Amino acid sequence: MMGEFVFRNLFHRPVRTLIGVLAVGFEVMLIVIIVGLTSGMLQETAKRIEGIGADVMMQSPSAQIFLAFSGSPMPIKIAGKIAELKYVYAVAPALLQFNSTGGVEVVYGIDPDSFRAVSSGFVFQQGRDIQGPDDLLVDDWAAKAKHLKVGDTYNLLSHDWHVVGIVEHGKGARLFVPISTLQDLVGARDKASIFLVKCTRPEHTDDVIEEMKATFPTYPVRPLKDFMSLMTSTNIPALQAFINSMIALAVSIGLLVIFLTMYTTVLERTRDIGVLKSLGASRLLIVRSLLTETTLLCLFGIAAGVGLSYLVRATFLGLFPTLSILITPEWLIRAAFIALMGAVFGASYPAWLASRKDPVDALTYD
Amino acid sequence: MGITVKIQTHQPFDSTEPNLHTVEPILKTENLWKLYHAGKVEVPALRGVNFDVLPGESVAVMGPSGCGKSSLLYVIGGLAQASRGRVLVDGNDLSAMSDPERTKLRRHKIGFVFQRFNLLPTLTAKGNIAIAQYIHGDGFDPHRFEVVTKMLGIEERLNHRPSELSGGEQQRVAIARAIINEPKILLADEPTGNLDTKNSEVVLEMLRRLNKDLGQTIVMITHNPEATTYFDRVVHMRDGVIVDGIPAD
Repeated sequence: MMGEFVFRNLFHRPVRTLIGVLAVGFEVMLIVIIVGLTSGMLQETAKRIEGIGADVMMQSPSAQIFLAFSGSPMPIKIAGKIAELKYVYAVAPALLQFNSTGGVEVVYGIDPDSFRAVSSGFVFQQGRDIQGPDDLLVDDWAAKAKHLKVGDTYNLLSHDWHVVGIVEHGKGARLFVPISTLQDLVGARDKASIFLVKCTRPEHTDDVIEEMKATFPTYPVRPLKDFMSLMTSTNIPALQAFINSMIALAVSIGLLVIFLTMYTTVLERTRDIGVLKSLGASRLLIVRSLLTETTLLCLFGIAAGVGLSYLVRATFLGLFPTLSILITPEWLIRAAFIALMGAVFGASYPAWLASRKDPVDALTYD
Repeated sequence: MGITVKIQTHQPFDSTEPNLHTVEPILKTENLWKLYHAGKVEVPALRGVNFDVLPGESVAVMGPSGCGKSSLLYVIGGLAQASRGRVLVDGNDLSAMSDPERTKLRRHKIGFVFQRFNLLPTLTAKGNIAIAQYIHGDGFDPHRFEVVTKMLGIEERLNHRPSELSGGEQQRVAIARAIINEPKILLADEPTGNLDTKNSEVVLEMLRRLNKDLGQTIVMITHNPEATTYFDRVVHMRDGVIVDGIPAD
């Protein structure tokens, strides 16, 4: 009986219910997409770095895990010292440059020969490797997103580049240019952001890392196979705070809309609450009926939010093919739980208010 | 100072029946006061009401607007707390009860019928009656449901929402809701106030049948002098006190 009562109440004002459902759905979608976008981009970046094929990476002492944020490049001559270490097969310096023109991306300045030595080279879909100072390699995803083909000219970092090759994605960056040209462009002559090291055999990785740490004690040295596990929001400065802020914003929206929805519901149903009280309904029953209604509304909202998340992801990926949005069951459940808790919290005060209504005032309410 | 109401009935004395004068009242008020606060001013709605109703009795309470009739109904129904004095319902002192205790007493011993019907608009007629059974806690009793709805002539209208029912039908559904759990007392607050003459007569006849056929104790507030002819006893109120207690016919 109470189920029927709650269900009918929910659909008594369909527009109000729809707004509540959409608010919760928007809340769930916002959480899922923000988290999915950040974790997707991090994971995709990590995959690309792992995909280079090197065994070890060394960064400058002030560098962060998220490579593009490394602010102070290292002298490129360090590469020579690393190459002298035992079990080191090849060393490739790379200068990383963050570019936000025409999209957010990291450009790798590489020395084609050393990069080929540590990564087993690119898989070319079209064109050839870097030869000239203005040559640009583009991976297939970036080529698709930017509508680039071999022979095109592409302006990047206020410099015109010639697209000479389209390569398969997954080798660190989406855009590759000669390191010397990039050094000149960004004023970092003879500097490198990272050193990629290939060991003579993979099982020598730990030995090489130990040697590198001993030789360069202040420099972070990491095995690339662990990079995926390190590339999390908690390891990126301020990213977790950003995610938490966005979740808080999403929850606030959901909570306020649910509060308003249930508050107006209680006001509208003042007389009905009086009737229920005259029939002997306890405060608990009145609270329970309103919270059940909220929960039901929230469940519809969660379902809408999940659908909306996939819709937004599909739309985003259609518009920006290089984006990566990771929607995981874990975060769908978390978002649903957060939305449910927010909704129940938002409805708690109106439900409490309803349960405390004076029955005589309620019955004479107009 | 309250006024004591003498209990009189139409029923002839029968030695095989218990003498009504020896029967304990199902409802009793003792020096009942109800004060409302308008800012810092105390406005007395009831000023020491003494009022008894015997089991199976039907009583109409009449009086001008603002004389305290509704306040009396709310206090004896446990919807409002008395400011002073005592209300005894089936031996339970409402004035000594907490709000949850009064709620429980309402659930089990009192049924309400209101002037504006007060049906839940989202539920059908059947749902409006069934929710009272749900709140009562004994679950849906199909036999009782059938008896009550047939008696009130609403068995064909059960799947309709209040907005699809006439005023008379709505009030009959409200009566069904009020009596479905067999309350000790049915309290009706101007149940014909929103009805035309024909529907008023139907509703009043229903109330009379409930009283005569099922022995339902009824206390009704009304402005309508004709309505009092359906009741055993009429009580007049003025300025928060009961001014008499006379038989209806």
